[in-house]
Amino acid sequence: MAAPASPVLLFTDIDEPGLRTLEVYERRGGYSSLRKALAMTPEEVLEQLKTSAIRGRGGAGFAMGTKISFLPKGGMDKYLVCNADESEPGTFKDRELMQKTPHMLLEGIVIASYAAGTSRAFIYIRGEYELQADMLDAALAEAHAAGYVGENVLDSGHSLSLVVHRGAGAYICGEETGLLDSLEGKRGNPRLKPPFPAIQGLYQGPTLINNVETLATVPAIIAMGGDEYAKLGVETSTGTKLVSVSGHVKRPGNYEIELGIPSREIIYGLAGGPPDGREVKCWFPGGSSSPVLKAEDLDIPYDFNSLAAAGSMLGSGAIIVVDDSTPILDVAMKVAKFYRHESCGKCTPCREGTNWTVKMLERIDAGEATPMDIEIMASVQEHIIGNCLCVLGDAMAMPIGSMIAKFRDEFEAHIEAARARNGLGAGAPAQDAV
Amino acid sequence: MPRPQQRTITFTIDGREVQVPENTMLVDAAKHGDVEIPVFCYEPKLGQPVGACRMCLVEIEGIPKLQTGCSTPVKDGMVVYTQTERVKTAQQSVVEFLLINHPLDCPVCDKGGECPLQDITFGWGGGLSRFVEPKRHFVKPLELSPLIAIDRERCILCYRCVRFSQEVAEDYQLVLLERGAHSYVSTFDGHPYVAPFSGNIIELCPVGALTSRPYRFRARPWDIEGAGSVCTLCPAQCNVTITVRDELALRVLQRDNIEVDDGWLCDKGRFGYQSFHVDERITEPLLRDGGELRPVSWERALAEAAAGLRRAGEQTAAIAGAQATNEEGLLLSRLLRDGLGSPDVDSRRASTLPLELYRALDDPRTQARLSDLEFADAVLVLAADPVNDAPIMDLRLRKGVRRHGLKLAVASPQPSSLDPNAAAAVRHAPGAGAPFVVALSAALTGAEDAERLALEAGAEPEAVRELAALLRAPHGEDSQSGDERRPPEVVILWGERLAAGPNGEAGMRALLEIADALGMAGTDGAGLLEIPATSNGRGLREAGVLPNAGPGLSEPARAGRDALAIAEALADGELAAVYLLRSDPLRDLPDGELWERALAGASTVIAHAAFLTEGIREHATVVFPAEAYPEKEGTIVHPDGRVQRLRPAIARPGSVRAEWQVLAELATRVGLDLGVLSGPMASQRLFDAVPYYAGMRLEEIGGRGVRWQEREAASSFPTADLGPRRDTAREALAETPANALDLAGFSSVWDAPEVEYSPALEFLFPRKKAVLPLSYSGAERT
Amino acid sequence: MSTPEQKEIVETTEALEREAAGVVEGPVRRYAHGSRVPGWDQPADLEKEPAEIPGVGGSPSPTVPEDLRAEIEAHLAKYPDRHSAALPALAAAQRVHGWCSPEAIEQVACVMRVTPAYLDSVATFYDMLETSPVGRHSVYVCTNISCSLCGADELLEAVRRAAAASPDGAAEFNVRGFECLGACDIAPMASVDGVYVGPLTLEDVPQLLDDARAGRPVLPDKQLARRLVADPHANSQEYPLHAPEPARRGS
Repeated sequence: MAAPASPVLLFTDIDEPGLRTLEVYERRGGYSSLRKALAMTPEEVLEQLKTSAIRGRGGAGFAMGTKISFLPKGGMDKYLVCNADESEPGTFKDRELMQKTPHMLLEGIVIASYAAGTSRAFIYIRGEYELQADMLDAALAEAHAAGYVGENVLDSGHSLSLVVHRGAGAYICGEETGLLDSLEGKRGNPRLKPPFPAIQGLYQGPTLINNVETLATVPAIIAMGGDEYAKLGVETSTGTKLVSVSGHVKRPGNYEIELGIPSREIIYGLAGGPPDGREVKCWFPGGSSSPVLKAEDLDIPYDFNSLAAAGSMLGSGAIIVVDDSTPILDVAMKVAKFYRHESCGKCTPCREGTNWTVKMLERIDAGEATPMDIEIMASVQEHIIGNCLCVLGDAMAMPIGSMIAKFRDEFEAHIEAARARNGLGAGAPAQDAV
Repeated sequence: MPRPQQRTITFTIDGREVQVPENTMLVDAAKHGDVEIPVFCYEPKLGQPVGACRMCLVEIEGIPKLQTGCSTPVKDGMVVYTQTERVKTAQQSVVEFLLINHPLDCPVCDKGGECPLQDITFGWGGGLSRFVEPKRHFVKPLELSPLIAIDRERCILCYRCVRFSQEVAEDYQLVLLERGAHSYVSTFDGHPYVAPFSGNIIELCPVGALTSRPYRFRARPWDIEGAGSVCTLCPAQCNVTITVRDELALRVLQRDNIEVDDGWLCDKGRFGYQSFHVDERITEPLLRDGGELRPVSWERALAEAAAGLRRAGEQTAAIAGAQATNEEGLLLSRLLRDGLGSPDVDSRRASTLPLELYRALDDPRTQARLSDLEFADAVLVLAADPVNDAPIMDLRLRKGVRRHGLKLAVASPQPSSLDPNAAAAVRHAPGAGAPFVVALSAALTGAEDAERLALEAGAEPEAVRELAALLRAPHGEDSQSGDERRPPEVVILWGERLAAGPNGEAGMRALLEIADALGMAGTDGAGLLEIPATSNGRGLREAGVLPNAGPGLSEPARAGRDALAIAEALADGELAAVYLLRSDPLRDLPDGELWERALAGASTVIAHAAFLTEGIREHATVVFPAEAYPEKEGTIVHPDGRVQRLRPAIARPGSVRAEWQVLAELATRVGLDLGVLSGPMASQRLFDAVPYYAGMRLEEIGGRGVRWQEREAASSFPTADLGPRRDTAREALAETPANALDLAGFSSVWDAPEVEYSPALEFLFPRKKAVLPLSYSGAERT
Repeated sequence: MSTPEQKEIVETTEALEREAAGVVEGPVRRYAHGSRVPGWDQPADLEKEPAEIPGVGGSPSPTVPEDLRAEIEAHLAKYPDRHSAALPALAAAQRVHGWCSPEAIEQVACVMRVTPAYLDSVATFYDMLETSPVGRHSVYVCTNISCSLCGADELLEAVRRAAAASPDGAAEFNVRGFECLGACDIAPMASVDGVYVGPLTLEDVPQLLDDARAGRPVLPDKQLARRLVADPHANSQEYPLHAPEPARRGS
């Protein structure tokens, strides 16, 4: 437990009994940020968010303030959508917030809607999160009754109708345009961008889409001021971040960290590192879509830019640790099968590429592949990256590509071993084995 | 919304500077520079690009990732590369991805030889697959509907067919099921995809996944020829290409004409061709002999017909209908008027209107173009159900609403299939179409009795008021500021049945009042558009097949009887003979019982017919075999005044002769030399006879047609002088009781011999109700 | 990566599921109630009428249970565009019918005024909407990466085997390997009738199924709802565990 104390903004006494009720939340100072924000002009609130330099916590890491300022001014119907479709493998931070402090999210949404000038908001929560959706529904009813949500919030003139919308099990609905299609009652197929949702989103109207954690941070930013918030973390990655650590660690769970601390401190210091006697083989720094890093990368500071410089990404802040007891092929197979299952099927490289990759991995596992298949597999990943409609194809191709690049020896050894099991020597044509 | 104005910009593609209209999508803009960017999912007719297939990836200077050319609007100064290594690699990889599960069964595939996937694989593919795993296999082909077979192995999931069903036809029956690589095109719970426009998905499919069941394995692309034509199976007159093999029509495809059909075709137009080649078709002259119609030689048939006509002389009448051309109409009326001295010719199902009203209704200044249905601010549909009266117009209206913010208003006695798309759907009493128009006119002009008139027409006064307000300001009173204020572009799409019955004249006068009130005459993009009851109703009117009008709506030497009066006169023995040019009154005209007596009482009934429908079978004395439209030579007129040309595409079966030739021959035999020795000569007679067609040439009409209103000669149109119009409609109405409208004889275009006799469409008959939702044919026909 | 033993279990389970669902094998696979089992290899039934919006025009209108109609109408009222209610409406119909059966979809289509194909297309896209008959209790075992690193594949196998041996067969349990359920901190875990439990061991399986069968709160001590946050700096004092979740859907 040798971890430095870090500032706590979101998780403050998160397990206090009753925090999810309005009574306790208000007693702890809840909704005072909303009052403070409503006393300012929307422009001033937006300015605070811009100054805070908070970047989106959902995966793409886009600056929240900038995103809001993309929304056109004017009296058309505009929408705010909270992306609570937390489905990136390894990620479970939003779940904790919605379950235990739903009012913090609601407060953040009302403030953001005030800054963005939207009068309708939706929380799109994944259907599997039944408990969390129930908590949100209950909190919303309380907030509505108390006048924090609805017509003329706290006599400010700002109105906001808010609906909790439950998804039904599709990873792609976490992609913002897939989410919009799903919220419109369609299959969750991603849309072409441009037009970006800020210009033409939900029901063709300008739409601001933010992750739960991003919006839940808004009350803290307003409370402490954008300047103060920006002092947390490092220059390009301000503030605190919830990190979900899972896989081969002793203490899996959510941790609120200050951005920029060494990754090792999270994996070993907070989460306890892999079980005794085992070593970190590789780790996903930002969910299963992020290219894997190896043990030698553990000292990279955990922030957006440092991880990007290391060829990976912070993503949703989900660290998955794989220790040396697990073959890399198993990891690759899990990842590839997941993306094949979740590919919406709209664009060709993703639909066919994920499917093909799984088939190649299965052949490797069955001893029906040759080392040339590794080349083909690597090339298929290259053909997917950058050529798809949305990022789902890339989300498979990048980690698989990184695994091939970093663990090629192990793939080759696996092929040889599997072929030997089938009574095939090295160099025999693969087709013979089919 | 008015049509957008576009400026021209310059961009560079593969090192060449090209000028194109701004915001053209790159794949289209590239064509201006002779560069082809391959596409599968892109089809502008289907709406916004979806960027799904990823085939059109190109490199744009200044953008790091490759971009889809189908969805990138071209900007001034843009620099685009389509031939770089990066682009080639990306395109090759997309082809490779698409082919990994494609069966490559081209040798047995109907699409082979005309398949975009083949062409693109050849042009942009790598020529090699690295996919060694087994491909997916499914049972194939499977029925998707009585008309369409689906081969799911071949499907590349381009989304075109489902987008058509969902975003063009809006029937939403064809969908994708499941997700990802498991996605497949299907319908709900094994229901067939049966809808009026379903056949379009066959043409949209860029692979051999959706094939026409009637065409399957009938021909290879190198066996066939395409012949441009115009479908005359309904008033919409869609442009088509007929696939011909060994002088038979094997298939009908759409032929893009944005001013006519927007590139779509209904299933009647697409599959009705089978009726040209069925055994039931009449292919030789028939003569009634001992109560039975028996085949005879042409000489015998012509001689008998001529003798009958000579005997009856002035006591002959003629009805032209259905698919008769302008030339045939002209020759028929001359045969009657000049050859036999009879003025009794008609071509309308509705009763006759005063000549001045025809002239006012056809006035070029108040005529809407068909494409105005899409771009107008508002369209009011009166006494028409487009899907049953001119199906392709239904798609055009839906498109206007969906893409251009068109405000659609529907006034009808019962729910219409367009209601869900309509900004206003107003109901009135059955048969009260004309009184409704009078009430609407009153509401528009703010007349005191507007409310009473609405109630008399069985409509909610408030709804009529709101409709009037919508037509006055389709986008709200304040939608435009200061200088931009322009009169609204309103189109009224009305069915001929509005002019039927004793109130018809009042309805027409009210329609003209509304046109006046909305300033249609001075507004481009606004106007009236009639859907005639027969395919070439407008052409026959302009050719002079009316009892009270000669060619070009000229004053005839002597006014004659209209169809109803002809029937009465035949039944009473005042008339002796009747010439039925593509018309079976028992089927096509009101008051079947009267016609039964009329035909039974006629001494001579001469008919041009393709099928022995009831009236012909029971009553015709002489039957001349009629031509199918791809066998014809001549011109027809689209409801919006576009003169279109028919050219022979296939051979006439049996001993079928050109119908103009039959008419000319008969004229000669009764002593009138029409001076017509060839099809083009017949057309020339028409152009000479109609002043506002003056100088027209067949070459000028070409494959796209020409709207006579847009030619100089349109100034020769005999404009009507109606005098002060105010209140004339109400006066006319006051003379007759409400609900006096008689709508018999107005049937759906789907209820036709071409549907009945096409084996492929046979299935529509028992199910007509399902295919024709909310049809008028039920309530109003009886 | 599946052993012959695993394959056998899967095949047995599938056969049991088919039997429970009353699937009649033959040239055209049909459910007991007569409608077709949809799929790649199925042609359209040309004897059927086209599937238009139920109750509009000439197409027949199904009888919709009053409660279901009311619930769907309440959802419709929440959105600017009625189509948005598709997911909640289908979920409601699934609760009533047990799965998104053709009848269920027709009922939703009738209330929503959309074609059944539209809803079918939506339903088949989402993992939680079942388009073939399933057991009464859903057991989603997460088999994504974090859980599988902690033994989820073995867990799923054990749950499948135990459920297949259940006296009521496949009609009782709908056991599915599921993609990441967002609870990697309690890996390996499962969502039992919507209640998250973990970390699970193979020994927990019989109790888990028994609790679900009996309509009791499932493995109360292992419910996610009870769990405190892992971050040691989060709470300024010691808090008690949260209360367990009651059972959500009884049989």
